[in-house]
Amino acid sequence: MAPMFQDEGSSSVTSSPLQFFSMMSLSPGLGSPYPWLKELKSEERGLYLIHLLLTCANHVASGSLENANVALEQISQLATPDGDTMQRIAAYFTEALADRILKTWPGLHKALNSTRISLISEEILVRKVFFELFPFLKVAYVLTNQAITEAIEGEKMVHIIDLHASEPAQWVALLQVLSARPEGPPHLRITAVHRQKVVLDHMAHRLTEEAEKLDIPFQFNPVVSKFEDLDMEKLRVKTGEALVVSSVLQLHTLLASDDELLRKKSPLATKNLNGTHFSRVLQRNQSTLGDLLEKDLANGYSPSPDSASSSPLSPNASPKMDSFLNALWGLTPKVMIITEQDSNHNGSTLMERLLEALYSYAALFDCLESTVSRTPLERLKVEKMLFGEEIKNIISCEGAERKERHEKLDKWIQRLDSAGFANVHLSYYGMMQARELLQGYGCDGYKIREENGNVLICWQDRPLYSVSAWRCRK
Amino acid sequence: MGELKTSSPMASGEASVSSSGYQTAAVPVATLPPKKKRNLPGMPDPDAEVIALSPKTLLATNRFVCEICNKGFQRDQNLQLHRRGHNLPWKLRQRTTKEVRKRVYVCPEPSCVHHNPARALGDLTGIKKHFCRKHGEKKWKCERCSKKYAVQSDWKAHMKTCGTREYKCDCGTLFSRRDSFITHRAFCDALAEESARSQTLAVSTDVNNPNAKVVVASPPPPPLTPSTTVVSPALSIQSSELPENAIGLSPQTPKTTCLTTSTTTANTSCSSSNGNTTSTVFASIFAPSSAVVTQPPPPQTSSATSISSFPNLIPTLGRSHRTSTSTTALVPAVPIQLEPTSLSLSTSLYLSNNVGSSLFPTPPDHHDQHRHFALSPQPPAMSATALLQKAAQMGAAASNASLLCSFGLTTSSAATGKEHAATNTAVHWNSQIKPESGASATGLALGLGENSGLTDLVMRPSSLFGNQAPMTRDLLGLSIGGGGGESTGGLSALLNSFGGGGGFESSYGGEGQPERKPNGPALL
Repeated sequence: MAPMFQDEGSSSVTSSPLQFFSMMSLSPGLGSPYPWLKELKSEERGLYLIHLLLTCANHVASGSLENANVALEQISQLATPDGDTMQRIAAYFTEALADRILKTWPGLHKALNSTRISLISEEILVRKVFFELFPFLKVAYVLTNQAITEAIEGEKMVHIIDLHASEPAQWVALLQVLSARPEGPPHLRITAVHRQKVVLDHMAHRLTEEAEKLDIPFQFNPVVSKFEDLDMEKLRVKTGEALVVSSVLQLHTLLASDDELLRKKSPLATKNLNGTHFSRVLQRNQSTLGDLLEKDLANGYSPSPDSASSSPLSPNASPKMDSFLNALWGLTPKVMIITEQDSNHNGSTLMERLLEALYSYAALFDCLESTVSRTPLERLKVEKMLFGEEIKNIISCEGAERKERHEKLDKWIQRLDSAGFANVHLSYYGMMQARELLQGYGCDGYKIREENGNVLICWQDRPLYSVSAWRCRK
Repeated sequence: MGELKTSSPMASGEASVSSSGYQTAAVPVATLPPKKKRNLPGMPDPDAEVIALSPKTLLATNRFVCEICNKGFQRDQNLQLHRRGHNLPWKLRQRTTKEVRKRVYVCPEPSCVHHNPARALGDLTGIKKHFCRKHGEKKWKCERCSKKYAVQSDWKAHMKTCGTREYKCDCGTLFSRRDSFITHRAFCDALAEESARSQTLAVSTDVNNPNAKVVVASPPPPPLTPSTTVVSPALSIQSSELPENAIGLSPQTPKTTCLTTSTTTANTSCSSSNGNTTSTVFASIFAPSSAVVTQPPPPQTSSATSISSFPNLIPTLGRSHRTSTSTTALVPAVPIQLEPTSLSLSTSLYLSNNVGSSLFPTPPDHHDQHRHFALSPQPPAMSATALLQKAAQMGAAASNASLLCSFGLTTSSAATGKEHAATNTAVHWNSQIKPESGASATGLALGLGENSGLTDLVMRPSSLFGNQAPMTRDLLGLSIGGGGGESTGGLSALLNSFGGGGGFESSYGGEGQPERKPNGPALL
């Protein structure tokens, strides 16, 4: 990419040239007849799609629905979930934009979504497919397990808390590693948190079966709870056991609640986005004033011209996240491994998020294009039900609804650091195993990059996921 | 001619020694005997004795024959020693003490350049080899690459290096020399086409079929895991087609089973490239194979060479269904050329090609694969990431041009930081704003606080609001002309005042930068 600005740790800046791309007059204009669109070649079509997408997003962001509609119409001529990468991406992004537009008529939106059936079995299947088609989770698990194994060396009683337990394979692998320990396996207890009981049941079955096979003293405690509403008491942490916490792709959802809280706290928060302090605030927490502004504008709210300094917002305005991390800190885990998406999808403005998301999901869709052929249903399902939903959430939702608040690793580092955790470098051996795993995958687009002891899993130089390990700092 | 040095028949050794006046006693310089004085090749010593041997003499391998057992020897000394074993009288010739004139030899072939005494060669062995090489029958043949040699030592030397170091161009041509390989690659068309495609496709190009007994590639298969993984699924497709087509090639079956097993372990196939690569590589294949066909006895291995590239195409055809169909679709051309060369093709490689040809009658079962293959002449789809980068570059280029002239740049003195946003700019911008056709006017990117590096012109003209409170207040206090924006209306009203219809949007700044949005309908 050709970054035009000095980046402060986020790649969103690189997308601003894209912004200007949307202003180029690529087409004869928005009113031209459509048939010629069909004859575009793949690359031109891709570029045209990007152009249209950005134009449409601009219109959506500025509220000109008519123009947005025209853009959507044009895009629909070209985009399709069965086509090439850019066509697919465009399809999902426009769906998200359309959803966003529709929300301006809340009644309409609710009515259209009222009869949607969400099958748990489908969700489970999609997660499984994601686990299998991509190496990301596998690499994360390998690194996590290695970090855990190293941290619990010599421990006899180990308690693992899995904050979003969806894939038993991770723990199966750990069981196998632990059984091969020279001093023998420890007494292992796994507490798994998940929204759906079915998932936990399956995991319980699988893990107890494996532990029996390997003759490891094992105990499985399911906790059926939403991640945000997790009650630490339910985890039943005992003294004397080595505690391990693992969080895979979940932590960012807490930021959504923070946003909502902030809005409720200070509805009159300055509309001035220009205060110096505001920039300070935004540096720490993306989701505050920007979203506030949006929401208030959405409500037709016309705020008074407060001066910047009167904002009640504190710099570290993420109470829910803070309290969660503090609670975790209070449990004094021996090691906590956090796997998160490494993209900045938590920008305060639509355009920001859209541009970032375009790059990230382009990389993810490219992964699929390069490794899976176009026909399998699984690929379509992953694209639609996993990525499509994430995209929709990022683009069309705001506030507490917008759960997919991915952020870059350095933000997480800051956050965890201020919550009292110290970074633990991931071991070289773990990274070696991860690299071997990637090589076995047979596709050389996947790469692992190490950054200050943390690992970024990249596709062709674009970091997509990050894995980092932490311990309590006394 | 390197062997000449070492062979050093007695004669030449004596000759050179005597001619240089070497004395056994005193060599003050070094313990090693001084090097033979070598004349420039083909330019003999002017006062040397010219010897013309007959072809028969030159070709004779064993001139000295034992009368008892008829064993032949190249040298008389060896024969004498052998005669000792028969209890025959033997006599070893001593080195003649008298000076021996240097001898040079001419080639008996009249048309040869070395027939001329002025271009005589200085060594007996040398002239022998020369005669054999140039005017003799090539009796020695390399098994791997079918090169023929008249001189056994040449053949031996070749066998040492044949196939040990091979460079393979992406178009399928093999090279044993690094320099020729590099030169070729610089101009190879297929290679250029391939690099033009997006780099995200992990196309394996250097694949030798590890399973087949390939005549061409005797070196071990390259240790590229991706490529080997790739080959297996691809070739297994061929093998899976086998049962249907009942080729009846029994040597094929063991190979296919091992192929299929290796497939099952392969997780993913190689990235799908498209028929495009296929067609181009095929083009280069067709060329050599057609050339092969025209020769009356097509060398077995050369056709195998062209064919050996065939499986290399398969990995590039991507995964299963696609592969089968593509092979199917492409194969019609191949058998036409391969038929005449079938005579000597005993390698399993050929058999695998035969498989390919037998795939021909199999009707393609994937409709979209056809379409896919039909797209092969077109350049392959760029990855989405590449497209975005390209768009960004185009946008950057455009912005450079347009923004500077659109906006009167005035760096505000009020800007305390490194921002270039200024109230002046804002005002200017207000008056200058003009919506572009079909696209929004330039976004109102906000000045960037800590992103001091963002002195980019892009941000400069478009940054409307700085990050400083004072400026903010100024802006708010401004009664912006040209609109109903009242000073109390805040930014939303300010934005309302901008003309240009509903077309413009606010672009964002760098990371974490506040963004201004016009007060539009509740979309935000």
